[in-house]
Amino acid sequence: MWADTVLILFISVCTALLGEGMTWLTVYRTEKYQKLKAEVEKQSKKLEKRKEAHGDSLDKQQKKKIEREEERLKNNNRDLSLVKMKSMFAIGFAFTALLSMFNSIFDGRIVARLPFTPISWIQGLSHRNLPGDDYTECSFIFLYILCTMSIRQNIQKMLGFAPSRTASKQGGGLFGPPPQQFK
Amino acid sequence: MAKGKSSNQSTSGAKSDSVWVRAFTANSEWPDKEEFLDVIYWGRQIIGIIIGIVWGLFPLRGFLGLFLFAVVNAGSLYVYFNSFQQVDEEEYGGAWELTKEGFMTSFAAFLVTWIIIYSGLHFG
Repeated sequence: MWADTVLILFISVCTALLGEGMTWLTVYRTEKYQKLKAEVEKQSKKLEKRKEAHGDSLDKQQKKKIEREEERLKNNNRDLSLVKMKSMFAIGFAFTALLSMFNSIFDGRIVARLPFTPISWIQGLSHRNLPGDDYTECSFIFLYILCTMSIRQNIQKMLGFAPSRTASKQGGGLFGPPPQQFK
Repeated sequence: MAKGKSSNQSTSGAKSDSVWVRAFTANSEWPDKEEFLDVIYWGRQIIGIIIGIVWGLFPLRGFLGLFLFAVVNAGSLYVYFNSFQQVDEEEYGGAWELTKEGFMTSFAAFLVTWIIIYSGLHFG
């Protein structure tokens, strides 16, 4: 069991690195992405500073200016999300295939023991395809999701690929705040 | 990312202390908000992993483990930014925004470490 647990940790580190590597190849290193990202960050910072400087005392002209800038930022954010989306879909498909392969390898195997009993709507995930009613037994998929949640985002942050906070706060992107964990 | 930013700053000459030094010095100045949020983020990850190891070794089980994680994680970082660094919370959108920073990632990291240590030591 211990070997399986560590193996899953290793698998999720590898898939996270692979995913980021592939995204770097197809998105991050492209000139279009870098240009848009720099633009979005510059605009977000400018907008935030402007909002801070004026506070509540906004006259009509300033308000209009801010609105215009917000609109521009929104458009740039949308373009940025579109640039990312195509390759994200491709990578998503590849990883779904990979996940189903690992799923069948670890099918019916208890990969870890949970130190707590999960709440009922998580039990379907944490006890997936496992025999018996001991809900402290953990299936592959649950551990893999947890590992990915922590490792993927930390790797993104370490490598500097995570979207900046100002940009996420000001712009929002195509689907609200940019999804960071389950790309 | 944090390291890159610190080197940028030291070359500009505005602040010669690196992020590391300022993170461990009380009442440091944080001209770049992102830097401080990065410190909070990584601090939270490290605390999450440490709590996971300790709870796994102990071993702590059940809801109590989860509850204590939330209390220790949120509490220790609150003391850090409120008493140790004494930053103006409002500049960062309030204490809640600072408490949210990196919390879910840290929770996942905590669960993974807790589960791995617990499984390995007590069910190996």
